[in-house]
Amino acid sequence: MKHYVYIQNPLEVAERKRKNLQSWILTAPAMIWLLLFFLIPYLIVIIYSFLTPDIYDIKFEFSLDAYRQVFSGAYLQPFLISFRMAFITTIACLILGYPVAYFIARAKEKTRNTLLVFIIIPFWTNLIIRIFSWRIFLAYNGVLNDILMNLHLIQQPLEIMRTDLAVALVMVYVYLPYMILPLYSVIEKIDFTLLNAAMDLGANEIKAFFKVTLPLSISGIFAGGILVFIPALGAYLITQLVGNQKSLYIGQVITYKIKNIPRNWPMASALSLVLLMIVTILLVASYLIFMHRRRRKVA
Amino acid sequence: MEEIRIEHLTKDFGGFTAVDDVSLVIKPGELYSFLGPSGCGKTTLLRMIAGFEIPREGRIIVGDQDITQLPPYQRQVNTIFQNYSLFPHMTLFDNVAFGLRIKKIAKAQIKEKVRDMLALVKMSDQADKYPDQISGGQKQRIAIARALINEPKVLLLDEPLAALDLKLRQHMLIELMNIHDAVGITFIYVTHDQSEAMSISDRMAVMSKGKIIQQGPPDDIYERPASIFSAFFIGETNLITGEVTGIEDEYVQISCPKGNGEFVEIDSTFHFTPNIGQKLTLSLRPEKIAISRYKPRQQDDFNTLKGVIEDILYLGTHTQYIVRVGELKFRVFSQHKRVYFDEKALDWEEPVWLFWHDTDTWLIDEVTEDATDDSGISPESAPYHRTSKRSMI
Amino acid sequence: MRLNRTKLFKSMNLSIFTLVMIFLYIPILILVIFSFNDAKIIVGWRGFTLKYYTLLFQNDAIKSAFWNTMLIASLSTLISTVLGILAALGLENKRFSGRKGLLALIYTPLVIPDILMGVSLALLFNFTRFNTGMLTVLIAHITFCLSYTVIVIQSRLEGFDYSLVEAAMDLGAKPSAIFWRIKFPLMMPGIIAAGLLAFTLSIDDFIITFFTSGRGFDTLPIYVEGTIRRGTITTINSLSTLMIGFTLLLAVSTGRIRKNLFNL
Repeated sequence: MKHYVYIQNPLEVAERKRKNLQSWILTAPAMIWLLLFFLIPYLIVIIYSFLTPDIYDIKFEFSLDAYRQVFSGAYLQPFLISFRMAFITTIACLILGYPVAYFIARAKEKTRNTLLVFIIIPFWTNLIIRIFSWRIFLAYNGVLNDILMNLHLIQQPLEIMRTDLAVALVMVYVYLPYMILPLYSVIEKIDFTLLNAAMDLGANEIKAFFKVTLPLSISGIFAGGILVFIPALGAYLITQLVGNQKSLYIGQVITYKIKNIPRNWPMASALSLVLLMIVTILLVASYLIFMHRRRRKVA
Repeated sequence: MEEIRIEHLTKDFGGFTAVDDVSLVIKPGELYSFLGPSGCGKTTLLRMIAGFEIPREGRIIVGDQDITQLPPYQRQVNTIFQNYSLFPHMTLFDNVAFGLRIKKIAKAQIKEKVRDMLALVKMSDQADKYPDQISGGQKQRIAIARALINEPKVLLLDEPLAALDLKLRQHMLIELMNIHDAVGITFIYVTHDQSEAMSISDRMAVMSKGKIIQQGPPDDIYERPASIFSAFFIGETNLITGEVTGIEDEYVQISCPKGNGEFVEIDSTFHFTPNIGQKLTLSLRPEKIAISRYKPRQQDDFNTLKGVIEDILYLGTHTQYIVRVGELKFRVFSQHKRVYFDEKALDWEEPVWLFWHDTDTWLIDEVTEDATDDSGISPESAPYHRTSKRSMI
Repeated sequence: MRLNRTKLFKSMNLSIFTLVMIFLYIPILILVIFSFNDAKIIVGWRGFTLKYYTLLFQNDAIKSAFWNTMLIASLSTLISTVLGILAALGLENKRFSGRKGLLALIYTPLVIPDILMGVSLALLFNFTRFNTGMLTVLIAHITFCLSYTVIVIQSRLEGFDYSLVEAAMDLGAKPSAIFWRIKFPLMMPGIIAAGLLAFTLSIDDFIITFFTSGRGFDTLPIYVEGTIRRGTITTINSLSTLMIGFTLLLAVSTGRIRKNLFNL
């Protein structure tokens, strides 16, 4: 066994130091910006969560009231509602998004890009406008009811607006591309000759799908799931514009505590931190599960 | 024109020594090749000459200038990259003009020079295209034009034909030689393809594990390999270990074990003085061995062995026979000139005679580790099994 | 039998794809059609009109919201793209000692709900007694655009063929020439994509703007939400149609520009 001593070239060492310094200088503006306007604001949220509320502002007096209320379970309901809706949305996006991603990935190479553009265009349209268009569509005197009434399929207009169904529909509509795109990028990379081989050996396409494609696309399902679930959990605008206003979602509760009078910023801060914790736990958990799977695969 | 001197050049990456104390001299105007398997250090050597790597020790001298520490943009050396590295956002004209524009040469002059250069590489009518609109061979030509327009003292070519298909490779090889003749500067050519190196080089260096194993003109290296490595890496050969049993005038007799405690005696001429009892390796090129089902006329300076055909591979230009002599296996190439040999084709398991001239047995003063057993080196157990070797020219 | 099931599988995929396409486009289509509908509220078709488009151009609140949106979008695009270019270049060095920390700072905002960034910035501006208005909205927009610009430009640099730099060096180019003649032009598609993304994100944002804009500084989404809440929605259809058209134009034209100017 030979032992090598790595003789460092002093020129190379100096060059590396120079490059490192250069990187610090180049990244400094972005880094300082994110420290000032991304990281420090969260410290202020933490501080504010321990202060006393005021109708218009905040009093700089220590208080644990916000946390006392959070842990008493007074705000469990909005979290549960949001969680349920995020979960439903994610599952629905997966069920609808997977066949679409699969269809695009298996299309001819030239048509693929066109199909992708069709998925992305609505995604590029203004969020509030898309939500608004659903209001027109689903409203009591809206287009859907109009059509159904004229076809004599219903006698009374359906009350879809301001129900959980409306929220679910719009959420799926808004977040579907977040599911399709990561799924597509994973499925597209799958070597379909594998599938052909499997089919050659007698499996039909459905069997081949469950044996080959699905296991290989699990990372895309994870990525898409996270990209849909987390924003759905914190959604405000959709729930506010099409949701049932008797049961509030967590995004609405936080927003009201900040914007509406009487204000309660410590409460909003504490709730934000709880939401942040939930998101962090979700991310860490899915990361660990994913890494575990990967390690097992390697082993 | 200037000569290039490389003195004790050493380069390591981490604990791995890529180039290990290499010294050589490349004559002015020469087409010189570094040949070796991947990882032998040939590309690192080239990159040090280009200036992309700084050696730990040693010097590179062009003419009387030491360029070892100069950055690439201050060297009068240009490179043809393996993947061409044409700038994708520039037209072919702009690609070729790049070096001149950097030197801030007058526009009219650039235009003229680029035109001449494009004419030299026969790409005049494609100047306005982009690199992604032309074929691999055309990209190659543009890369050559882009390098040569700077009038370098040396042109470095890093596996320039590796990305091309066979027919194009043969064509470009001839074209490269023509360009070399036209511009007259020194070319340094790196390749892992021995037939490419053999056909193009004035001289070449066979490299392995960071060191130069042998250098010289291609025919010299082919006919007179100095080591088992060069014998095996260049062309194909039969390597047999044996022991010197007798020396007489310019002839030496070697006894080679053929299994079951039996031996075959092989005669050879020698270029170094062997001692009685010395172990060494014989290199026997397959095309130098004649094969026949009839015993040849007894002749003093011929080696004659009796064997059995184990395998026959018809390869178009020639047929390859694997002939078993005891446990030794000989690979024999025979061209299809029936006038010399049997009218009826040789068949599997047929007993045959092998014979060759004593001077065609080449002695190598070296014994491989796996040749210490009795069987010698059979073609199957050879360290480098190369399949596409006879595909070139 | 086997063939039939495979066929069934394929046609199922096709039909789900078609359904999803209808699902994605029906609302937008309705919006566009109804922007030409001569009715005060949205019930049935009452004939073609351009009246709401003319009303749109007479509405000062909309006009000011439009210019505010454009101003914020342009400035935040410009600043976040410049910061993104610099950061991406700095991150190119894989041995950079601050690399992991910065990447964490860049990726975290992407995986945290927008509302939290809105809350935290609102409280920051309250804590520092910073008057909310154009400047606070601009700061907020730069903050959420920055992550995207860095990532888009950086991913473009990841695929950068370093041998091009060597080739340029070999041909006599010094580092500065290499940057301006080779690297920057090749980064350009990434920069354009990043800028475009930042611009759309900025125009699109409601929630973070909602938390950071003061009274009297409305962007279009804020204005639209307000009108929807107040129930005076007659001009929203036409406004929305124009905005959709604008987005499409932006998407198509950048593709063209990229193709024509950079051959990439």
